[in-house]
Amino acid sequence: MALGTLGNRVAVQLFKRLPWLGDAWARRRRFVRSTSVPWTPLRRPVRECTIALVTTAGVHLRSDAPFDMTDPDGDPSVRVIPVDTPRGEVRITHKYYDHSAADRDLNVVVPIDRLRELAAAGDVGGVAPRIYSFMGHIDGAHLRTLVEHSAPDVARRLRGDGAEAVVLTPA
Amino acid sequence: MGLVQRAIEAAGVPTVGITLQKDITLSVRPPRALYLRYPFGHPMGEAFAVAQQRTILRDALRALETVSTPGQILEPGYRWKRHRFA
Repeated sequence: MALGTLGNRVAVQLFKRLPWLGDAWARRRRFVRSTSVPWTPLRRPVRECTIALVTTAGVHLRSDAPFDMTDPDGDPSVRVIPVDTPRGEVRITHKYYDHSAADRDLNVVVPIDRLRELAAAGDVGGVAPRIYSFMGHIDGAHLRTLVEHSAPDVARRLRGDGAEAVVLTPA
Repeated sequence: MGLVQRAIEAAGVPTVGITLQKDITLSVRPPRALYLRYPFGHPMGEAFAVAQQRTILRDALRALETVSTPGQILEPGYRWKRHRFA
């Protein structure tokens, strides 16, 4: 167990420091191959749009259950973070990437302060009230749950939040 | 992440995604992507690097207005810890 944890920590650091290792990993692994691309045009300029943030960096409220890191196929569930949540109540559960920088500054993975500044400056119309968060690294049977349930559910909630465009950030 | 992005776009909300892994993005094909050759865990750049984070966010937002080809991947080409952001 301790050795496994250490091995994972070493791997996480290697993947962070050697970008080509990530490229090699991506080439070996199978990903969903899509032919068509969904498309919704922006209806009005960004400076008039309410913008929402969605991430797959494993961010969640301290009071919420963390993502399940024991399942090798990942955790396809969603966490909701109100945008005005005090920073101390937000944390990251994700062992497949080095989130030490994001732990110090959430904006490294979820640019909430930068988005609010742009809204205050009038460069975006507004900030949607909720951030939706996944953990990424979803595989196996959980892919179907993600694509058929979690992701469409978040899409509906985003519309309910009045989001007119979404910026997504990975781990 | 691309799968979530595709679902949101398909539900009628325009999306743009930051990506650190171009091979995955080429395979999954989200509608609009901004590729950075940055380390995993740093899609918006370095901690407390306000100008860097703001520039990347602005680039992503601009892609919502400028990308007209579904599946296009923009590459601003910032070099990790080398590019000077104003």
